[in-house]
Amino acid sequence: MRRLNFSRFPFAALLAICAACALTGGLGACNREDPVEPGATFGDGASPAAHRPTIAFIMKTLNNPFFVDMEVGAREAAERLGVELIVQAPERELDIERQMQMVENMIQRKVDAIVITPNGSAEIIPAIVKANAAGIPVLIVDTRIDAEAAREAGAMTVTFIGSDNHEGGRIAGEFLAGRLGDRGEVAVLEGIPGHETADARLGGFKEGIAEASAVRIVASQPANWERDQGFNVAQNMLQAHPDLNAIFAANDMMALGAIEAISAAGKSRQILVVGFDATDDAREAIGAGRMLGSVAQYPAAMGSVGVEKALEAVNGAAIDEEIGTKVEMIHEANLAD
Amino acid sequence: MSTSRREWLLLHGRELGGIGGLILLCFGLWILTPYFLTVSNLVNVAQQTAINAIIAVGMTYVIITAGIDLSVGSILAFSGVILARALNADAPLPVALFAAIGAGAALGVVNGMLITYGRLPPFISTLGMMSVARGLALIVSDGRPISGFSESLRFLANGDLIGIPMPVVITGIVMIAGQFCLKRTWFGRYVYAIGGNEEAARLSGINITFVKVAVYGLAGALSALAAIVLTARLNSAQPTAGAMYELDAIAATVIGGSSLMGGEGSVVGTLIGALIMGVLRNGLNLLDVSSFVQQTVIGSAIIAAVLIDMAIKRRRV
Amino acid sequence: MPGPASQDAVLTLSGVRKEFPGVLALDGVDFELRGGEVHALVGENGAGKSTLMKIISGAYRMTRGEMRMEGREVRVRNPRHAQDLGISIIYQELNLVPHLTVEENIFLGREPRTPLGLIDAGQIRSKCERLLVDLGVGISPAVRVSTLGVAEMQMVEIAKALAFEARVLIMDEPTSALTDRETETLFATITDIKSRGVSIIYISHRLEEIFRIADRATVMRDGRIVATHDVEGLSTGQLIREMVDREVNDHYPKQPAPIGSVVLGVENLRAGTRVRGVSLELRAGEVVGLAGLMGSGRTELARAIFGADPIDSGRVTIHGVDLTPSSPNAAIRAGMGFVTEDRKGEGLVLQFSVCQNVTLPAIRSMSRAGVIDRAAERAAANRAIADLHIKTPTAEAQVSNLSGGNQQKVVLSKWLGIGARVLIFDEPTRGIDVGAKIEIYTLMNKLAGEGVAILMISSDLPEVLGMSDRILVMNEGRIAGELSRAEATQEKVLALAVDPVAGAA
Ligand SMILES: Nc1ncnc2c1ncn2[C@@H]1O[C@H](COP(=O)(O)OP(=O)(O)OP(=O)(O)O)[C@@H](O)[C@H]1O
Ligand SMILES: [Mg+2]
Repeated sequence: MRRLNFSRFPFAALLAICAACALTGGLGACNREDPVEPGATFGDGASPAAHRPTIAFIMKTLNNPFFVDMEVGAREAAERLGVELIVQAPERELDIERQMQMVENMIQRKVDAIVITPNGSAEIIPAIVKANAAGIPVLIVDTRIDAEAAREAGAMTVTFIGSDNHEGGRIAGEFLAGRLGDRGEVAVLEGIPGHETADARLGGFKEGIAEASAVRIVASQPANWERDQGFNVAQNMLQAHPDLNAIFAANDMMALGAIEAISAAGKSRQILVVGFDATDDAREAIGAGRMLGSVAQYPAAMGSVGVEKALEAVNGAAIDEEIGTKVEMIHEANLAD
Repeated sequence: MSTSRREWLLLHGRELGGIGGLILLCFGLWILTPYFLTVSNLVNVAQQTAINAIIAVGMTYVIITAGIDLSVGSILAFSGVILARALNADAPLPVALFAAIGAGAALGVVNGMLITYGRLPPFISTLGMMSVARGLALIVSDGRPISGFSESLRFLANGDLIGIPMPVVITGIVMIAGQFCLKRTWFGRYVYAIGGNEEAARLSGINITFVKVAVYGLAGALSALAAIVLTARLNSAQPTAGAMYELDAIAATVIGGSSLMGGEGSVVGTLIGALIMGVLRNGLNLLDVSSFVQQTVIGSAIIAAVLIDMAIKRRRV
Repeated sequence: MPGPASQDAVLTLSGVRKEFPGVLALDGVDFELRGGEVHALVGENGAGKSTLMKIISGAYRMTRGEMRMEGREVRVRNPRHAQDLGISIIYQELNLVPHLTVEENIFLGREPRTPLGLIDAGQIRSKCERLLVDLGVGISPAVRVSTLGVAEMQMVEIAKALAFEARVLIMDEPTSALTDRETETLFATITDIKSRGVSIIYISHRLEEIFRIADRATVMRDGRIVATHDVEGLSTGQLIREMVDREVNDHYPKQPAPIGSVVLGVENLRAGTRVRGVSLELRAGEVVGLAGLMGSGRTELARAIFGADPIDSGRVTIHGVDLTPSSPNAAIRAGMGFVTEDRKGEGLVLQFSVCQNVTLPAIRSMSRAGVIDRAAERAAANRAIADLHIKTPTAEAQVSNLSGGNQQKVVLSKWLGIGARVLIFDEPTRGIDVGAKIEIYTLMNKLAGEGVAILMISSDLPEVLGMSDRILVMNEGRIAGELSRAEATQEKVLALAVDPVAGAA
C-alpha cells in the first residue's frame, strides 16, 4: 500500500495515440515511397530524372464532387507522368487556416511543387509567400488569387489554371434569358461572398442577362456553396417572390438545394433552374427535366493540367501565366455528348 | 516525502499520461516519416497549434466551471473583423488590438451575464451568441474578407523573439499566465470550486456571478487574441473564420483531462491536448493520409482518450 | 469473543483487509451477523465502519478476506449483485437523484412493470404511499427530492432500502439528521422488520439508541474489531471506553461565557413557505439552541438569515447594521459563518483536498495580489486538522476519501478560520463520535468566550439542552417559545415543538 499504484496513472491519451499511430502508420505506408532526397528541390532541377518528383495538390475540400473529379484527373496525370502526388484538403471549404497549415506541412515535406485551389483569394497569399521562400513553385487552380494583394506581398505563382468563370456566368445568363423569352424575374444564389469565383460568375451572369432588359434580378443572396443552405435560401426566396420565373445558382450544390425547395413548394418545373459545374447529380436532374441546365467546367482537366504544368515547372520549363480550361452550357439537348 | 511524491504523481497523473502519449505519438511519427522530427517542422507544429491552444485556455476555464462556450469561433470572427476595420480606419496598432480584445471580452461578458443574471444554461446562451457574433461579424465586414495589413500586425504571426516565432511566444505567455492563475490565485480556486460544487461554493461566500462573468469574458478575450494571431497569419480577417473552432477547443480541453461535469482540468493538460491534435494533423498530412481518414483518426483519438480516462477513474476503488 | 452458535449466522466476514492508497482502513476484521438480530456497530470517526459496510454491499472490494452468506462463500461483485443476494443498505451520505421525484428515487432501477413491460406507475404510487405512511412521514411521493430537507431525504433513503425484501439491512447512521419523532417511527419499523427475521446492522454515534434497539454491539477501532458484546448488561461507560480508549465523564462540558450586547438581530423574517415571521436576537458570547421537529423551518430560517435563500420581508442586522437583502458573500463579510447541514450537497467540494476545503471561505484573505500564500494556507489547514483531530493522511488528501465524521469536521473547520462574530451551526455534530463531540463543544465554549454569538440547530435534544444558554423552539415557521437553560427540559421542548399552545400553557 505504500508503493506506487500504477493503476491510477492515466495512460489515456497515450493509448489513444498508440492506436491512432498504428492506424495511420498502416495507411500512411501505402502511400509512402522513399522520401525525396533533401536538397533535390526546385531550382537545382539539373537532374530531374534522378528521382520521382513529388507534387502536392491542396484542394478546397473533398466533400464536393467537383474536387473529387479534379482529384481523379490529377491522379491520372500523376500516374501517366510518373510523379508522386499528395492530395490534401480541409474538412470544410471555409477553412482557410487549415489550408494554410497544409501548405506549411507540405513545405516541411519538401515537395517539389504545390498546386492549390485557394479557399480564400487573399488569405492564401501568406502561404504562397512561405512556399516561395522555401523555393517551391506554386500553381493556382480554379480560383484566382487576389492579384493586388499578391503583388503587395511579393507572392509569386507560376500560373493560373481554371475555367473562365466570368465567361461561364455570361453564357449561363444568355442561355437563361433566351429560355425565359427575354422577360421574367430571376433570383440568384451566390457563393461565399468575397470569393473570386463567386464574384466572377455573378458578374458574368449579370452581363449575360443585361442584353435582355426585361429580365430582372429580384433577389440575390449567398448560400455559401452548400446544398442545404441553397435549399433554405431558395425556400425563403419563393416565399418572398411568388412570381419567380427562374433561379441561377453559382454552383450545382446550391442549384440542387433550390430544386428541392421548389418541389417542396409544389412548383416543380414551373421555375427554371440553372446551375454551374455540371456535376453528375446536376446532369441527372437535367436529364429528368428538373433542372434547365448547368455550365460545365472540366475539373478533371484542371486536375491533370495542374499536375502536368507543375511537373514542367519543376523541370524549369516556361509556362503561360494563365491557362484556360473550357466552359460549356449543358442542357437537355446536349446532355448525351 | 514518499507520500508527497505519490500525491504529486496522483495530482499530475493526467498530465503525465498526456505527455507520455504525446511523446509516443512523436516517436511513432519519427519512425514513419523523416520529415516530422526536424526543428523547422516542430516550430511549424507549434505555430499551427497556437490558435487552438489560445482559445482552448479560455475553454478550459469555462469547462472547469461546468460550463461550455460554443461561441468562441464566432467571437473570433467578430473580433478579427473589428481588428481589421480598426486598422483600415488607420487606428494605431495598439488601439486596434485593444478594440479587438475588448470586443471579444464584451461578447464573452454578455454570455456570462445571460448565464448568471438570465439563468440560461451555458449551452443555450453561447449557442445563441454563436449565431449573434457570427451575424455581427458579417454585418461589420459586409460579408467580405478584409485583407492587407501593415507589417507591424503581421509581425505578430511572422516575426520572432530571439528565434521563437511570435505565435508561439504569445501562446506560451497565455499558457503560463493561464496555468498560474488557475492553480495559484484565489480566482482559480473559485473557478474549480464552482465546478466542483456550485452550492457549496456559493455558501462559502464565493460571488458566483462575478466569477462566471469573468470566466466567459476571459474566454471571449482569448478568442479575440486568437483572432489577432489568425488575422496576422492570413493577412486577412474573414467574417466566416473560426467556424467549428469551438469544437477543436473543446476537444483539446477534453483530451487534456478536463471533465465536462466541471471541477477538473488544467491549462497544461489542455496544451498537451492541443499539441496532440496539432501533431496528429501535421503527421497525417506529412504521411499523405486522406483527409477523410484524418477526421476519423482525430475523432477516434478524442473518444479513446476520454474512454480510457474514465475507465481508469472508475477502477479506483 | 463469546462463541455464538454459528449455524444461525446469516453473514460472516473473516480476515477482511482493505487498503486505500496510503491508508489501511480495515486490518483483519472478523464479524458475524445472526439471523433476526439488530447488531450495532460503533467506533470513532474513521474507525472503518462505513468501509466494512461498503464491502458487504459491493461498493468496495476487499483487499483480502472472505465473506460468507449462510455458510456459502460469496464474492460481491457490485451493489446490484448485493441486492440480488438480499443485502440492502442505507449509506451514510445521501445518494438520491435530486431532480427525480421521491417515488422515482425509491424505485430507481427496479421499477415494477406492467405485463407490457412499461413502468407500472400505479403500482409505484401505491407501494410508495404505503411505505411512507408506514414510516409516518408526510411526504408526497410525487415531489422532487431537491425540494426536501435533509431529514426528509434521509427518510426517503430509508424507504428506498425498505422497498424491497432484504435479508440483511444495513443502516449507516440513519438517524444522524433525524429528530426524536422520526427516530421513534424508525425504531418501530426496525422492530417490525426484525420480527420478520431480517438481520440489521445499525451504525450510530448516538449510543443511547444502541441500548434501545440493539441485541449485540461490536466496537471498532483503527480498522480492527475491539469487542463484541450482548447489549444486555453492557454499560455506556464501557462502550465509550472501548471506542475512544479513555474515560469520558462529562458529555456536555458547558462553560457559560459572559454575555455581551446584541450581535445578530432578526426582525419579523419571512422567506418562502417555511419561515413565517421570525424575530430573534443573539448576543455576544451566547449559545442559542434552535430546536424543532423535522420540517419546522429551522434550516430554512438559518439559510434566510445567511442570505442563502431570498427573503420575502423582514430585516437582518449585525451590530445594528442592516444586512438585508443579502447574499452569503455579504453575510460572510459582515462576520457570519454557516455550517451547513448537508455536507455533501452544500458543505464540501468533493474533488478538493482537505486543505482546499478548509480554507475556501478565507482564501481571499490568504492571498496577496490575488496569489494564494501557500504557506499560510497549509498552516491554516494543519491547524484545523490538529484542533479537530481530523483523521486524514495529509492535508492534501481528497476530502471525499475521509470518513463521514471527519468530513463533518472539515465542514466545521471551514468556518473557524474566518474570524466570524456570528456562527450558525446546522447539525454541527452530525455523524461525529462521542469523543470528538466533546472537542467540538469545548471549541464552542472557547468561541463563546471570545464573544462569538452562536446559533445551534440540532436534532439531538440532549445536545441542545446540554450546550445552550437559551433554547428557541420552532414550530411551523414561527418561534413557538423560548426556554432558559435553567427551565428547559426535554419534555418542555418537545411540548412546544409539537403543539405551541399546549406547550406554552
Ligand atoms: N475511498 C477512500 N480512499 C481513501 N481512504 C478512505 C476511503 N474511504 C475511507 N477511507 C479511509 O478509511 C478509514 C475508515 O473510514 P470509514 O469511512 O470506514 O470510517 P467510519 O468508521 O465510517 O467513520 P465515521 O464514523 O466518521 O463515518 C478512514 O481513515 C478514511 O479516511
Ligand atoms: Mg462512516
